[in-house]
Amino acid sequence: MYIGIDVGGTCTDAVMLSNGKVHSTAKISNTPNDLLSSLLQALDAVMQGVSADEVERVVLSTTMITNLIVERKYDPVGVIIMPGPGRKLQQYCNADVHIISGAIDYRGREIIPVNENEVLEVIKKLERRGYTKVAVVGKFSTRNNRHEIKVSDIIKKYKPDWHVEMGHKAGGQLNFPRRIDTTVLTCATKEKYHYFVQSVKEALKRRNIKAQVFIMKADGGTMTLESSEQAPVETIFSGPAASTLGAQALTASGDTSLVVDIGGTTTDLALILSGKPLLSTKGVMVGDKLTQVRTLAVKSVPVGGDSVVEIVGKELIIYSERMGQPYCLGGPFPTPTDALNVMGLTKLGDREKAWKAMKMLGESAGMSPLETARNIINLVVDTVAKEIENMFLEWEQEPAYRIWEVMQKRKMRPQNVVGVGGGAAGFVPQIAVRIGGTPVLPPYASVANAIGAAVAKPTLQVTMRADTEQSIFSIEEEGYQGKINQAPFGFDEALNLAKKWLIDKAKRMNIADQVQDIEITRQEVFNIVRDFKTTGKIYDVCVQTPRGIQWHIGAGGKLI
Amino acid sequence: MAYWSGGEINMKNKTGLVFFPAFDWSIGPVHPEREERLLYTRDQIFEEGVLDLPEIVEYRPQVATPHEVARAHFCVPGVDDQVLVAHRIAAGAAIRLSDRIMNGEIKNGFAIVRPPGHHAMRVVHGNRGFCTINNEAVVIEHLRRTYGIKKIAIIDTDVHHGDGTQDIYYHDPDVLFISFHQDGRTIFPGTGFTDELGGPTAYASTINIPLPPGVSDKSLLYVIDNLVLPILKDFQPEFVVNSAGQDNHFTDPLGSMLITAQGYAQVTEKLKPDLAVLEGGYAIESALPYVNLAILLAMAGRDYSNVIEPGYNPEKIVENTQVTDYVRKVVDHLQKVWEHRRSLTVSELCGNSKYYQKHKNIFYDTEYFEEKQLEKVRACQDCPGYVLIDSHATQPKIGRCRVMAISIHGRCCKKCIEEAWDAYNDAKKDYRYSYVYLQDKTEDTFITFRREDQKEWHTEG
Repeated sequence: MYIGIDVGGTCTDAVMLSNGKVHSTAKISNTPNDLLSSLLQALDAVMQGVSADEVERVVLSTTMITNLIVERKYDPVGVIIMPGPGRKLQQYCNADVHIISGAIDYRGREIIPVNENEVLEVIKKLERRGYTKVAVVGKFSTRNNRHEIKVSDIIKKYKPDWHVEMGHKAGGQLNFPRRIDTTVLTCATKEKYHYFVQSVKEALKRRNIKAQVFIMKADGGTMTLESSEQAPVETIFSGPAASTLGAQALTASGDTSLVVDIGGTTTDLALILSGKPLLSTKGVMVGDKLTQVRTLAVKSVPVGGDSVVEIVGKELIIYSERMGQPYCLGGPFPTPTDALNVMGLTKLGDREKAWKAMKMLGESAGMSPLETARNIINLVVDTVAKEIENMFLEWEQEPAYRIWEVMQKRKMRPQNVVGVGGGAAGFVPQIAVRIGGTPVLPPYASVANAIGAAVAKPTLQVTMRADTEQSIFSIEEEGYQGKINQAPFGFDEALNLAKKWLIDKAKRMNIADQVQDIEITRQEVFNIVRDFKTTGKIYDVCVQTPRGIQWHIGAGGKLI
Repeated sequence: MAYWSGGEINMKNKTGLVFFPAFDWSIGPVHPEREERLLYTRDQIFEEGVLDLPEIVEYRPQVATPHEVARAHFCVPGVDDQVLVAHRIAAGAAIRLSDRIMNGEIKNGFAIVRPPGHHAMRVVHGNRGFCTINNEAVVIEHLRRTYGIKKIAIIDTDVHHGDGTQDIYYHDPDVLFISFHQDGRTIFPGTGFTDELGGPTAYASTINIPLPPGVSDKSLLYVIDNLVLPILKDFQPEFVVNSAGQDNHFTDPLGSMLITAQGYAQVTEKLKPDLAVLEGGYAIESALPYVNLAILLAMAGRDYSNVIEPGYNPEKIVENTQVTDYVRKVVDHLQKVWEHRRSLTVSELCGNSKYYQKHKNIFYDTEYFEEKQLEKVRACQDCPGYVLIDSHATQPKIGRCRVMAISIHGRCCKKCIEEAWDAYNDAKKDYRYSYVYLQDKTEDTFITFRREDQKEWHTEG
């Protein structure tokens, strides 16, 4: 038995799956400021008639960290950076950033040493301003973490109770500005996230559930509850990822599908290409911060069932903001939901009010209520269809750095248009017609997010760069740097080393059973040549557990 | 209330980037033109986060078509025999950016690509100076054909003379080619002297500025301010291409110059190229990561003042005063040439002969063989004239081969066009030529004739 729980801003959705079938579902309105009680209610609702021993796995997704960041409710963090030579970082003027000496280059070599006195000066300044949380980030610290560790050790020596977060641990990919933001956010949210973890543990303890517990990541994978404490930022945007996985679970495997999640004010679009959800190429932006957190490529179109519709001259305009409920539900303005009601595409709301809303809107332009409703629906469908086309074009235009990537054929359009979310039933068939796909409105669409959580699998990745000229290697995700002790060290040794790190990581996280298959996603070898002699090799290897979902549910729910 | 407008963003102030490091292509495992060349540049550009800057937008390269290549080159025996996919992608990267510039999506673009192209000449028997096709020429022919651009300038800032680009545009008055480089007596390819000024119908549309070894930022900027910029101002190009080689850097293993990343950025800022295309530069660790970053920031109008190479030591890169004086003399001389360029007529430049002709020996250093050419241009009073090239070489791919290649400029007069077609038909009957080619830029037609089976192929744009 697998339980999936999506803790949203207003609702908590839960499902229990048994052998690839939905056993029960639940939708609980959250009790404000009482996460524990929402979790307990959700568990009780889906576990009816099932004993706690039968639960093998619990997966949760949460918008908690996303909301903290968007609403800027996180703790203040002092920032110490070592940028060395390169671009000037203008955008950090607003944050409390302190630049100190110390520089590492792209091959992890020291260019400029750290000056201890400068660090002490900065500590004094931070103390005066009342900081107890500090992010220490160096350029290329993923290639050599020595400077960050040194600075961190100095801080801990003088301020043992401060919380210091280092860049190579929080943001392991190449991108210094994003590493700074990711480290700051990790530092700023850890304490608050701890409360979430405690609540989850408490809820499961009270219901005697001893199953493995995982947390959804933005990329559609999961991490263990314990390891998530080290990287709370990884949970941002895991809600849309869960919905996409849910849609994937509810359609046939291997299909190319577009997932359309029509909510109150936005429509989220996601792509499943030949059965694999598309990842964004860059990290996600949250609030005003660019992170290194990779998400599924979800595009948000500011149009939804509750968007306000106005008429200017003879032209209908949809605004992105929500001004309350649709007119037919007692709201102040006409909305696309009213149009759906008039066209008989939804049973939501009061029919007379919906007609009235359309009449008010269309009158000045000489349109009948029916015409107005049809035009509004066309406008929504047009807007979404245009963004779908853009999304595919963007995907086709993603940069390519290798010949084979350029030559790969990348012309693809979706077979299915899968609708989830409140407004889906009214719009998805028409969107599908517009872009030439088959509309799919799967059962359980309203809890697709919780289903997605339940079927999500742990994902582990290890990116290793070995430099035999310097006899060093680094593991990006761990911020680890070590010496190469083997000789000779060729491609096979490099690959085995990366695999070993992946397996060890899985063992540490108690999910060794998940690494029976290892996928190699990148394997590159560069000769290091100096004065026309090969002096070493660089091996760039990336291995991961296969991305995928546990099961597909039922027949797929195709309409036609 | 925010109005939803469908996501159009004003991109007019953006700089486009195509980064194509060709991580799966090399000339040879220890050759300077190998997979590793842009690896550290990639690391630096990614780590700096410049691709997140609102001023910079990254594009995927496209693949240049054989016809796009044939607008600039006569590949012997054919495009597919000489040109690899890697070459077509590098050229395609430049085409992609040029299209985005022309449709107003971006203000300028930088193609950080390999393989390079500025040593590739009009006739291609093989690879020379690490180049097979001329990325700049392919994009220029695309711009002329697609957008009707008339006047284009190419500024070659590589340490080596851009002899390929010069060869292609030597008789073209509409394309101004300016190259500064280390003096040909001290470095490959051994050409690019001040007296190479273009043919009689295109006099002074080729300007070579040979510089002695040991030139630093100061003198280079003197050349830009006092010679290159005034010439550009007079010429009034509609589009400026920069062949952005980076081997003038003080750490380059092939060149002997003293230019820094700051110097390159300042040159870029002054030249304001619409499109910059990476050429040479083989100090892959000490120069390229920093120079590419500095140029990109300069093109995007961002502060590049902190882009300083770890090996930079101002005391060690001091220019000799003799070098300074020599550079001034070269500039003085060329200023005069430019000033008096209009006083020479076509007949004064080549007497009363119908053709201006030149014998050329072209060495293909990658595969070690030589091509012999007789190049003739019709010294027409009314138009740029057409070009006839009688070329033979013993290339490794097909052995000994003699070809006739005819190129008709897009502004050729009716008489020249007729003469050129007659020359083509005559050459087809001439048993000495295994292949006969005709490039008619007035019609965007390219024809190949193969003697062996008397077959003729046309490609059209």
